[in-house]
This record gives sequence, C-alpha cells and structure tokens, in this order.
Amino acid sequence: MAGRDYLGEFEHIIVLALLRLDDRAYGVTVRQEIELRTHREVSIGAIYATLDRLEAKGYVKSHLGDPTPERGGRSKRFFHVTPKGVAAVNRIHRVLQSMTEGLDVLRSYS
Amino acid sequence: MWLLGLFTVGTEGESIVGDLHEEYSQLALKSEYGVARIWYWRQALKTVVHLYGMGFRGAPWSTAAVIVGGFLLMRFVSGLPDTMLSAVTDRYLTYWSEHFRAYVWMLNGMAIAHPIAMIFVGGLVAFVAKGRELVATITLALALSILVGVAVLWVGAHGLIGITWILWSCADPLAIMAGGIIVRTRRSLAASLPSRA
Repeated sequence: MAGRDYLGEFEHIIVLALLRLDDRAYGVTVRQEIELRTHREVSIGAIYATLDRLEAKGYVKSHLGDPTPERGGRSKRFFHVTPKGVAAVNRIHRVLQSMTEGLDVLRSYS
Repeated sequence: MWLLGLFTVGTEGESIVGDLHEEYSQLALKSEYGVARIWYWRQALKTVVHLYGMGFRGAPWSTAAVIVGGFLLMRFVSGLPDTMLSAVTDRYLTYWSEHFRAYVWMLNGMAIAHPIAMIFVGGLVAFVAKGRELVATITLALALSILVGVAVLWVGAHGLIGITWILWSCADPLAIMAGGIIVRTRRSLAASLPSRA
C-alpha cells in the first residue's frame, strides 16, 4: 500500500461521474450529473481543476471533440477514465468497505 | 467570456467558455433571461477563483519568483517619478513664490506618473509570467494591498488621514493589475491572429 495515491472526495466523485457518463463525459454533462446526484452546485472551474489534477496523475485522459454552434463554435473536451484510474477507484472502494465493515453507518441516534 | 479568457490558456479556455455558453443557452431557454445571467456570472466568478488556484499550483516556484521580482522592481520604480520631478524642481524652479503654479503642476504630475509606473511594473511582471499573467499580477497587487491596508491603519491610528491619500494608495494595486490585463489581452489577440508563415 506504500506509495499509493488515494483519491480525494471530489476527485472520487468526478471519476465516478466519468464512469457513469462513459462517452458522453465532458464539462457540462459531468457538472450536471454531479449536481443531480449530490444536490450540490459545483462550478465548472472546480471540475476542470480536478480533471486537470486527475489527468496529471494519469487517472483520466482527454481529447477534443468537434466545435458545435450551440457552444459558439467551440470544441468540447471529452474525458475518460484510464485503467489506472479504475484501479484507483477500486482501491478506495475496498478501503471504504474494509473501514465500514461491521459498522451500522445508517443507524440514527435518538 | 473576456474575464475567463484572462485566466485560461489555449484549448482549455475554449472548452470552459464553450461549456458555460452551452449551459447558459440551455438555462435561458428553460427559465428567465435574468436567472440565466445570474447563473452565468456566479459560475464565471467561481471558475475564475479556481483558475487562479490552478495557475499558481501549475508552477508555484517560478510564479512566486516572478512576484518577488515584481515586488523588488516596484520598490525601485515607485520612487522614480518623485526623484525625477524633484530633480527638475531643484534645478529649474528654485523660488517657490515665483514658480508656485509650476510646483502645483509638478505635484499633479507625480500623482499621474506614479500609477503609470505601476502599470509598467504590472506589464513587465505579466510579460515574464507568460501563461500566468493575471495570477502573478493579482498576487502582487494583493500583497501590495495588504501593505497599503496596514499603512492606512497605522497612519489613521497616529493622526489624520485624508481620503485623497487613501485613494492614491489604492491606485497602485489597480494599476499593477491593469498592466497585467493589457499584456494578457495583447498576447491573446496576437495568438488568435492567423500565422503569416
């Protein structure tokens, strides 16, 4: 486990959003997916900042799409998760599973 | 879009602006124009903050070195207008009573020359910090603003403080940022022109 990098909370959410969206993952869809599922507003800047960090770590790769008129003739930047990124997600899920084993995390305290 | 363009580089900027444009169009169709505008500005301002952080984290040491260099340059340049104008008055205007109007003109000249010198400092810092022009100049302006704020509090605590002096002190950070914006805008325009090759 030594030397392995764990995903931060927002990085984790971003990677999961990319995995859910598959080929449709670019700034707008990622932001809307996160907002829909977490009920919290995120800025497009926060998403790109995190995606750049993930790309620098090798967990995500991007490519430019064709420009479209509804974007003022600007291209979309599509993202997809690399095998290294999938491994990082699986790693954090195993850790969370191990840490929550035996705990009743949904228990409410009266 | 102009505001975001000051902080973004190349295709990344194009993607971010394109995303905002697309969502803004979708929102404008679904709800009121005013709601969409508010959403756009809120998103743009939050994005600028993140882009500022990204710009700094991308090259923290070189950016910090440019900022320190800019601060030292500012210390050197800020005294030049006063020194030059004082040299002129000492050489040519030796009698206060005879040259009162000229002295007033010189004092006004100092007030104008000082912000111009700071625009020069901001422009030079931005020129050196290629790709991080606004990150470097805003950080330098913020550092100067903190010093100005401390000075205003100290002067205010020890005596009367004039509104003119406060306004004059606030001009320097704004002039530094203006220099950065000028260099960044010119670079962006030059990059968008077709190649002559």
